[in-house]
Amino acid sequence: MLGAIIIASDQSRQVQGDRFIASPGSELASWAAVEVMGKASISRLADALWEVCDLVSVIATLRDRRNGAQSQSSLPDLADECFASYKRKGCDAVLIARCGAYFELDIATMLAFHQERGLEATRAFVDDGPLDVWIVDPSVVSGYSWVCSPSACARSAVYRSQAYANRLQSARDFRRLVLDGFHSRCHLRPEGAEIKPGIWVCEGALIERSARIVAPAFIGRNVQISDECLITRGSNVESDSHIHFGTAVENSSILPNTYVGIGLDLAHSIVDGRNLINLQHNVSLQITDPVVLRESAARGRGRKLRTDIESGMAMSSAE
Amino acid sequence: MLTSGPIVVMQVPEVLKVGEVHDFMQELGPLLESNRPRIVLDLSQVRSMESAGVEMLLHCLEEVLKRDGDLKLAALSPEAEVILELMRVSRVFETFLNCEDAIRSFHAIPAEAVPQNTPWYANVFNELGVVKQAS
Repeated sequence: MLGAIIIASDQSRQVQGDRFIASPGSELASWAAVEVMGKASISRLADALWEVCDLVSVIATLRDRRNGAQSQSSLPDLADECFASYKRKGCDAVLIARCGAYFELDIATMLAFHQERGLEATRAFVDDGPLDVWIVDPSVVSGYSWVCSPSACARSAVYRSQAYANRLQSARDFRRLVLDGFHSRCHLRPEGAEIKPGIWVCEGALIERSARIVAPAFIGRNVQISDECLITRGSNVESDSHIHFGTAVENSSILPNTYVGIGLDLAHSIVDGRNLINLQHNVSLQITDPVVLRESAARGRGRKLRTDIESGMAMSSAE
Repeated sequence: MLTSGPIVVMQVPEVLKVGEVHDFMQELGPLLESNRPRIVLDLSQVRSMESAGVEMLLHCLEEVLKRDGDLKLAALSPEAEVILELMRVSRVFETFLNCEDAIRSFHAIPAEAVPQNTPWYANVFNELGVVKQAS
């Protein structure tokens, strides 16, 4: 029986330089938790693991929606607890993924490699180095904290893979993942329906008649694209965002719940509410003018990421 | 404020919100009303600009053009560049890498070098004459 533990974090995103910085106390940068073409990388990973694993848990620290309070337990403690419960349930292998990167490993092949080697752990490597992905033997390994120890690397078998991986360490990596998805350089597929070749639109999206969407492009759930807008060159507008009248979005990512004002020219950028990262000028700034950029009023269920992580927790607790 | 002959160079403040725009216009206003104002705005310190700041720049350009002058932007910070591009006004302004280049651009065709009593096409025909002689 194979169990999987994904260590995620749901910290608030703060733009600083080219990265989203993790809030104090959380251990992972959060690009993997950002919605990309309808679904966060973490959720995509959880879906992929359900195909091959018997048990899947997503460990995340969630903030209380009303007062912002965080759960008292730390991620490693929760992961250790989950690991122990897998052991009790009789798992003979546990996959541990500290989710910072997007990767497309063949887990079944990695598991076969791990069993063949017979070591206490196997770590995945891609062309440019190790990933934070292990398969461990719960009868030998004490818990999640073991993979964080310095001796873990020395005592693990090395599973080399040619699979696609994107470390998602920066805004540039994030844009590269979007473009790789559009151009089929990886298995990441946009959610929703492909209404024309290279144009994906999710349910609830409202695109005015005079707006132009030029492939490849992705329009997420409940997105509103107003008249005379242009969305083009590999842009993705994520759920509950609104692109207002006459604005052009080119080679850019609009993250969920973002309002982009009237008559703007947005190019080579990632926008999250009032935060803008421009990859051409390599600059990040906060636009304080709400008529230009702001967080849009949530229409519906709020941020997808939160929903996905919560459902992940629900799945694990239902076991 | 630095001046170089009739060309005025002004440093734009780090933040251009409504309040800062008002203060800056207090200083810049009289210059806009002079005869043929020639102004260079140094945007190297700009870190944040609201739409009020962009409107101010457009207003200044309009005023100087009305009076047969010119306004040029110099040393744009990356933030200023991004905001001007975002608001689709970057092509409206003549921009320069630094203030020296912007000042020099005002002297590119010195008015005094062109004789006022000769027609504008005189230089073209002079050059044509040189070409004919060479052939």
